[in-house]
Amino acid sequence: MFELSQRGPRILFGLTTVLVGLFLFAPIYWLLISAFKGNSELYRIIPTLWPGEPTLTHFSTAFTRGNLLVNLKNSLIVSGGSAALNMALAAYAGYALAKFRFAGRRMLMIVLLSAQATPFGLLLITIYPSLVAFDLLDTHLGLILASIVFALPVSTYMMFSYFSQVPGELIDAARADGASELRIFHTIVLPISIPALVTVFLYAFMWSWNDLLYSMTLIVSEEKRTIGPGLLLNYLNETNADWGGAMAASLVASLPILIAFAIVQRSFIQGVTAGAVK
Amino acid sequence: MATLQLSGVCKSFGTTPVLHDIDLDIGEGEFVVFVGPSGCGKSTLLRLICGLDTIDSGTLTIDGEIVNDVPPAKRGIAMVFQSYALYPHMSVASNMGYALRLAGTPKAEIERRVEAAANVLRLGPLLKRKPRQLSGGQRQRVAIGRAIVREPNVFLFDEPLSNLDAALRVDMRAEIAALKQRLGTTMIYVTHDQIEAMTLADRIVVMNAGRIEQVGSPLELYRRPANRVVARFIGSPRMNLLPGALVGDPAAAEIGVRPEHVRLAGVGHGLAGTVRMVEHLGSDLFAHVEIAGVEERVVARLDGGREVHVGEAVSISVDADTSHRFDAQGKRMAPAHNDRRTA
Ligand SMILES: Nc1ncnc2c1ncn2[C@@H]1O[C@H](COP(=O)(O)OP(=O)(O)OP(=O)(O)O)[C@@H](O)[C@H]1O
Ligand SMILES: [Mg+2]
Repeated sequence: MFELSQRGPRILFGLTTVLVGLFLFAPIYWLLISAFKGNSELYRIIPTLWPGEPTLTHFSTAFTRGNLLVNLKNSLIVSGGSAALNMALAAYAGYALAKFRFAGRRMLMIVLLSAQATPFGLLLITIYPSLVAFDLLDTHLGLILASIVFALPVSTYMMFSYFSQVPGELIDAARADGASELRIFHTIVLPISIPALVTVFLYAFMWSWNDLLYSMTLIVSEEKRTIGPGLLLNYLNETNADWGGAMAASLVASLPILIAFAIVQRSFIQGVTAGAVK
Repeated sequence: MATLQLSGVCKSFGTTPVLHDIDLDIGEGEFVVFVGPSGCGKSTLLRLICGLDTIDSGTLTIDGEIVNDVPPAKRGIAMVFQSYALYPHMSVASNMGYALRLAGTPKAEIERRVEAAANVLRLGPLLKRKPRQLSGGQRQRVAIGRAIVREPNVFLFDEPLSNLDAALRVDMRAEIAALKQRLGTTMIYVTHDQIEAMTLADRIVVMNAGRIEQVGSPLELYRRPANRVVARFIGSPRMNLLPGALVGDPAAAEIGVRPEHVRLAGVGHGLAGTVRMVEHLGSDLFAHVEIAGVEERVVARLDGGREVHVGEAVSISVDADTSHRFDAQGKRMAPAHNDRRTA
């Protein structure tokens, strides 16, 4: 770490950091205080910056009205499944791209990354009839399969970059020790790639958790609904909008992600590969 | 223990040829060292022998059996890598036992062999540690241990000591020499280090640009280098090269003289020159002398007690007995005055 003593850069870096912080934090702050404000305070023309009389009423509505807990459970299933599938596919594909030479390898990388540039809505046009054909519409499995399009290209690229840095000699050593390629991947490469795998898992989990378009389109049954459409349909519809309830429910809905990040953060810090080479 | 034979081995990466027609016979229990400039193909040759890369043409024979298409683990070979390549998530014991576990060796047998190897390498107290909890020297010993545990017929080492500091390198060199005595296994060893090559090798293979320049015992190579590449590569500081015409031998393109054979005297006793640099190593002294008509400064190795000063005008002379003659292609020539030599 350096001491930043020059004034110009200090102002520039400081200012951008503060701006980014505000930009990211302000909505969360708003969500937080709104969830604890009573309705009369919430709908004032000039908003307060701190709840005058903090109340938990919105939270009790959140848990009684609609199916917040069912929605949460469904989201956990769908996002967890989608993230796991995404992680597995990205790991195998990324390893192949990073460590093996084959015809069309470079082309495949380009296609992969340009896939990310395709609007998700557009992809839905082909995903929808595919799910219909396999009778997977309005099922969690269908949504899990569809959701991998969000994160898979970038996840594969992330795994590719990580695997590219795994020393070739490590893999050669295992080959010389008599391990098959699959065995090397499973018993040597994957165990030292846990930080990357966790990152990719979380990345995909977030995409799926925050999705609205796919989960709204591909799930229609009330009892299978995930958190995104759940919040929207329960609190903000054509006839009324319960902002307080929406904020409280959103807060509850974001908790799993916050907790996951808090737990997992530790594994990023550890240098798991330390001691392999040199 | 095994014999190993390379014949007509070629290897290219894409369209770039890296090894040309390599022929080499390695005897049972021999310690062979590959040396050569960076990029000359030493590692590539080692990887071919190990089976990590495929041979384009030619054959590799181990104990009389052609093994070109035999997978690495079935060749009876163990390799120690320059970067150690320890499995970072496994304990020292698991690292050493990995190959045996893959081969389905019974657990008790694995334990026995890991323990035996750990004893040889003084790794006993470290068996439960992870690689990141070890020092560089300890990691290197684990890497060697991992090879020993497999009880291979041939050991391959690719610059195993190059990541260690100088003092540790000396210790590990002694350790490898002891290992060679103890196991008597055929060993092939790649190094950049002159001293490692000279002290460890039964035979040295000098490689250059994908070809073998010369094969011989360390002293053979030192005393009778087959060409100027070998002459310049073996010995430190390296052999001086003087134009033949300058030292009264116009038949030879170049005359090579080792620093210890260069005689330094006052002005008027040979080729005139000026001392440009003096390196004092205590016991020895290296004087770098600039001479008109010689591209590189001539290095003379002198007794540490001599007084030589930078800027001093001196003269150097060489003996026909101790100099090497090379033709225009750089090949060794017979001595010019056979009569002066005692056969
Ligand atoms: N996988 C590869 N693909 C393409 N070229 C390669 C590959 N591996 C090695 N080479 C080339 O082959 C030549 C020989 O490489 P090699 O690693 O065998 O050299 P080396 O003698 O071991 O050198 P050093 O002493 O620096 O380790 C080099 O020119 C290198 O660039
Ligand atoms: Mg090398």
